[in-house]
Amino acid sequence: MTPHTAGQIELLGQVLISGVLLGGLYALIGLGMSLIMGVMKIINLAHGELMMVGMYVTFWAFTLGKIDPYVSLLIVIPVLFVLGAMLQKWLIAPVMEAESILPENQVLLTVGIGLVLSNLALLAFSADYRSVPVSYASKTIYWDVKTGGQTISLSFSFAMLVAFGIALVLGAVLFLFLGYTDLGRMIRATSQDARAASLMGVNTKRITYITFGLGSALVGAAGALLAPVYYLFPQIGGPFTLKAFIITVLGGMGNIPGAVLGGGVLGLAESLGSVYISLGYKDAFGFIIFVLVLIFLPKGLLGKGRA
Amino acid sequence: MTKPRPMQLATLALLAAGLAASPLLAQGKTFTVGVPLPLTGEHAKFGEMKKQAYQMAADEINAKGGAKGTKLVFDIQDSGGKPDTAMAIVEKFITINKYPIVVGEYTSQCSFAVAGVAEKYKVPYLVDTGATDKITQQGWKYVFRLNSPAGLYAKGVFSFFEEVAKPKSVAILYENTDFGTSTSKSMKDYAESHGMEVVLSEGYQSGAVDFKPILQKVKSLRPDIVYMVSYLMDASLLMRQSKELDLNAQAFIGGAAGHTLPEFLENAGDATELCMAATLWTPQVKYPGAGAFDANFKKQFKKAPSYHAAEAYATAFVLADVLSRAKSTSPDDLRDALAATDMMTAFGPVKFQAWDKFTNQNRMETLVGQWQKGKFETVWPKTLASAPYLYPAPRWRDRK
Repeated sequence: MTPHTAGQIELLGQVLISGVLLGGLYALIGLGMSLIMGVMKIINLAHGELMMVGMYVTFWAFTLGKIDPYVSLLIVIPVLFVLGAMLQKWLIAPVMEAESILPENQVLLTVGIGLVLSNLALLAFSADYRSVPVSYASKTIYWDVKTGGQTISLSFSFAMLVAFGIALVLGAVLFLFLGYTDLGRMIRATSQDARAASLMGVNTKRITYITFGLGSALVGAAGALLAPVYYLFPQIGGPFTLKAFIITVLGGMGNIPGAVLGGGVLGLAESLGSVYISLGYKDAFGFIIFVLVLIFLPKGLLGKGRA
Repeated sequence: MTKPRPMQLATLALLAAGLAASPLLAQGKTFTVGVPLPLTGEHAKFGEMKKQAYQMAADEINAKGGAKGTKLVFDIQDSGGKPDTAMAIVEKFITINKYPIVVGEYTSQCSFAVAGVAEKYKVPYLVDTGATDKITQQGWKYVFRLNSPAGLYAKGVFSFFEEVAKPKSVAILYENTDFGTSTSKSMKDYAESHGMEVVLSEGYQSGAVDFKPILQKVKSLRPDIVYMVSYLMDASLLMRQSKELDLNAQAFIGGAAGHTLPEFLENAGDATELCMAATLWTPQVKYPGAGAFDANFKKQFKKAPSYHAAEAYATAFVLADVLSRAKSTSPDDLRDALAATDMMTAFGPVKFQAWDKFTNQNRMETLVGQWQKGKFETVWPKTLASAPYLYPAPRWRDRK
């Protein structure tokens, strides 16, 4: 094997690793929005800002309490759950009930919530970029593969590996929860047909609070996982809301395995596209796939979501 | 409404006259300059820093009696780093507030947008951070720039290449708005005209989480030099991830901005070691007042000033000087006084000249700094250096 070929294989390997690991994190970000869209049929445009809140909780837990980001998941998840449930109960649900307001306008409400959250953060914490400098932030695991007389070196970011692992675990827990618990069944029932579910005795209002709380907790957790490898400032949310939206459509609204697949597809599209086609248009590849799916596979990649 | 009585009419007339006269009265005691800055959004941190520098300078100037007895006041409004907002703010400054001069903005995009508005209304605009070359290449009469244009940022780096490094290949990564595109172009042009191979030249969208795919591509091309033009957080991630990938080069060089800032060290830690950067100003540069500015800023705001803050600080002093020379506070007289400026500031000499395609452009040396053991030392040119340069850099895995 020539050094050139080895270099190309190394490049492809590294690109695939990046795509998959990032994809796992994206999937977790998208899961929450997919759940909310599936049950309540509203697009939560404050999704990125909820992640931002999760990241600030992680940051302050680390800075003030020296709590490791992965441990602070135990704080972030309940805090974001409560925040999400309260937003649904006190702000979103009342607006949905007012008949004079068009259903589409709930989306505007979530935009407003996002603005308030990011500006509160700006006021409280200033615009400074924050980092969570854990000792393992740059820790890398090297894997040298000797083949064909050449050595191919691949590197894995430790923090990204852990984030990927935890994201998968959370996704699996969510899947089992929805599939095998009573509360999970009630959520699925509400997402299939809210009227019928309430006729069956499901307290659909309470289900919406819980679902929004769950969705918020998931994206907050994603924020905690992202904290060691990225950085934080009040307006960080916007691009991630967009990615969550793409993943939700790719996977089909409310389809959990679909959202995981969607995250992976987005991560890989960005990675591969940025290297083999053009770096400048990296974000465009996700959008292109998004549009193609909307046109040809409106129920999502797995064909099981809601169009 | 009842028929107005004489006293009511008189009071209304006095009130109207008072309101009309107050701007004139106010201008006699204070002089207000309009300043758009990104106080929110991804560049908020630097907008905030410039705001602090303007105010610190204004306080110093006003404590000494102001400019010919007039107090200098800055009206600073938030553009969020969005060109449309910046343009709207400046239109308001000019048409409603009637400020006769505007300074500021941070990004090249916003500065260029504001420059267009100022030229249209024939109101002088002093750019002090926006770097893209084209701002002072339009032949505009009312637009002036204190800082070097992006194309000249790397002049110090080029002379370092010629006299020391003599590299044969370079990979260029740049953020893809006006700033990165403009600054990287000068490196690309230099490389192509000096027999250096440009193995890669790619623009990226600021704010990415994972640069590893493109960094791996750079690694596979084995360039001598990796040149990056980035804002702060991208610079931090690029260097951290380069270290993680064991991407090695004889030198990593930043085109000012992200790679020169104290927060770069905080965020990228030991991945900054031996990283070089083209820079416009350091606290130890031998211009009068530079060190004092650095010390006072740190004392007052508890953080180190970036070169953007030094630019803002110097701008305030230029304004005071202009005010003391101008025949009146009309836009045209201010513009003429600005054009005749010839002074030294803590940021360096200020004299607006025309050369190549530039007009109303200040001409200054650019420096090369290098991060050595957590300090950003000036390493080139030798006459202004505070420490010797360390080149070439050993591989990441070989470093202690």
